[in-house]
Amino acid sequence: MKKGFSLLKYSLPLLGAAFLSATLFAAEETAPGVKGASEEEFTPAKEVLTVKYVQLDKPYHMDVESLKGAFKDANPVKVPLQKQDKAFPNGGGSVTGAEVKAIHDGITIYFQITWSDPTKNARSIAVQEFRDAVALMFPLGAVEITPAEHFSPRMGDREKPTNLWHWKADWEADLLVKGELEDVEVQYPNMHDDFNFNPYSAYYHRELITSVEVLSGGRAANNLLSQPGRGRTVEDLNAEGFGTLTTQDHQDVNGCSHYEDGVWTVIMYRSLITQDPHDVQFVPGGNAFYNMAVWNGGEQDRNGQKNISTQWHPATLEKVAWQ
Amino acid sequence: MTLVHNWHLGRRMEYPYFESRPKRQFAAIFNINRCIACQTCTMACKSAWTYNKGQEHMWWNNVETKPYGGYPQSWDVKTLKLIDNGENTWYTDEKDEKLSPYGVYEGDTIFEAAAKKNINQWAVGYIPEDKEWRSPNFGEDVAKSNKPDEYSSLPEHSRWFFYMQRLCNHCTYPGCLAACPRKAIYKRKEDGIVLIDQKRCRGYRKCVEQCPYKKPMFRGLTRVSEKCIACYPRIEGRDPLTKGRPMETRCMAACVGQIRLQGFLDDNPKNPVTWLIRHDKLALPLYPQFGTEPNIYYIPPRWAPRSYLRQMFGPGVDEAIDKFMVPSRERLAVMSLFRMAQSIIFEYKIEEGPKVFETTIHGKKFEMYNDTVIGYGEDGQEIVRTTIEEPIHIRDPKHYNSI
Repeated sequence: MKKGFSLLKYSLPLLGAAFLSATLFAAEETAPGVKGASEEEFTPAKEVLTVKYVQLDKPYHMDVESLKGAFKDANPVKVPLQKQDKAFPNGGGSVTGAEVKAIHDGITIYFQITWSDPTKNARSIAVQEFRDAVALMFPLGAVEITPAEHFSPRMGDREKPTNLWHWKADWEADLLVKGELEDVEVQYPNMHDDFNFNPYSAYYHRELITSVEVLSGGRAANNLLSQPGRGRTVEDLNAEGFGTLTTQDHQDVNGCSHYEDGVWTVIMYRSLITQDPHDVQFVPGGNAFYNMAVWNGGEQDRNGQKNISTQWHPATLEKVAWQ
Repeated sequence: MTLVHNWHLGRRMEYPYFESRPKRQFAAIFNINRCIACQTCTMACKSAWTYNKGQEHMWWNNVETKPYGGYPQSWDVKTLKLIDNGENTWYTDEKDEKLSPYGVYEGDTIFEAAAKKNINQWAVGYIPEDKEWRSPNFGEDVAKSNKPDEYSSLPEHSRWFFYMQRLCNHCTYPGCLAACPRKAIYKRKEDGIVLIDQKRCRGYRKCVEQCPYKKPMFRGLTRVSEKCIACYPRIEGRDPLTKGRPMETRCMAACVGQIRLQGFLDDNPKNPVTWLIRHDKLALPLYPQFGTEPNIYYIPPRWAPRSYLRQMFGPGVDEAIDKFMVPSRERLAVMSLFRMAQSIIFEYKIEEGPKVFETTIHGKKFEMYNDTVIGYGEDGQEIVRTTIEEPIHIRDPKHYNSI
């Protein structure tokens, strides 16, 4: 245990250096196609989200239904959303708003986001399929968002890093279907066959095609998106501006969702405090800022083609009972 | 946007990044006239790189029949429509050997069309659906009949088709690279090979959308996109067979019809690839009007209608076909190097031999000399030596029936 801890300690500066060099490169390149932010974007929204303290018996199965009661008394904040119109490729605009509620139990913080989306897109296998998704973004470190601070609400900025939690509908489907990566053969058999009715070809070469893991490029490169059995529905990321989004080596966030009558309800949760220096930290009784984006897979939303809020939003965590 | 020079178009054009040419550019020449569509190249690539699960639809190298074939279906017609502004013409009255060897393109590139249409992304494009990647050889050997009642005769057949060999063009100004919002695609400085970083890719499919040649492909299994890697371990000389020398890719080396020559475009006028493309102008880029400066070059098929070929290869078509039909002494010698070696040839030398044949082709005098052509590797060592006339071996009568 002690050995493991010291390894972690030494690897952190290295990680930091790698992240910084990657973002420096990208930041230089993002200039074309990016329009400057306006002053009002640096001013946070007025309405404060109260992260309500609740005493919660953590359900065995973490799902929206069993957490419903805990969110009962939490006050919702409406976040207006709009088209992403600053960095190429522009896009989005089909989702105009979302509702956010938040609670914590002194150990874990839960954000619940609901928005309307007439189509459920929980698969991203065929080339023209895109997933529904939602992301929360937090400034990294103890930052007070003021107009003078010039902290961009759009993916942060150079030397103004952010921590992002990205829930993906297809990751959740994977987890629920098999507890691992959704299998192409199961979800869409014979996708690339010339004729839909051929029942055999997916199995014909199965020994050959499953034998060489190294040729699954994304898997061999350790890309989290490609990994089977990732065991979660939310990706933990960092960004320092457009085009710099990077998956964290240490994944700490999880989530669950429910889709009914054209409405997504997504809950993302994480422990208030983590050991990862690339994570946002939450202190009961303290303040935080957040921003968010929603992707509508039915409208081909992905990457910068998304519905965004162009302001940071303040939040306050209620104290725990013994404070 | 910055302004970069595209010598295929003979002018500067808009591109999101600065002009930054590699030290030498991965390039190849395909002689369409000789292709028999045996698909050996296709299978050589498939068995090396895309035989795995989730890659069933991927053919990084494919051979399609023109005009009806296409993988993905109708890829070129669909992209041509996107850049069509009604006046996509070429100005060919003035040419500059170095800057505008084919004249000047006056239409829109995929980048300029996107800017004009104000669609707020770098290039126009579309995502071919899963169904469009199926049946990769649909339309094989289907001829177009312009005049069904007439017999076909040169110079242009009235019933015609030809084979189009395709792989990633490793463009100088790649549409995929411009499109990627994450900079997950990069062009290598040492050889100009364009690659997708499998760790950085997040499967947004902007490259699939904005590559006009439709060569990046999405893999549902890993949720990220993949593309031709130009067999870069071979290009780097890491295959033990060539003992450290740069080696041609799988699809090139496997070519049964000997239609392919691969090498690097550089400044050496005695490099066979550079000579055929830049000096002789026998080999032409595929759809130069897209504006990406593709680096696979084609010797156009001499029997196909010229208007179709001009749309496909630009205004250099007529000159290239004339040159191909009546090859000069040097051209014939350089063309003899096609598929003579697996190691990449960096320079050639011709040792003159006696005249062995002469005739008249379409009214033009043609003389053939049995010259010796020598190909040299990167290290200056001779790697191949061949003659214009193939040597004839007469079998000893006692072996007539043996193999």
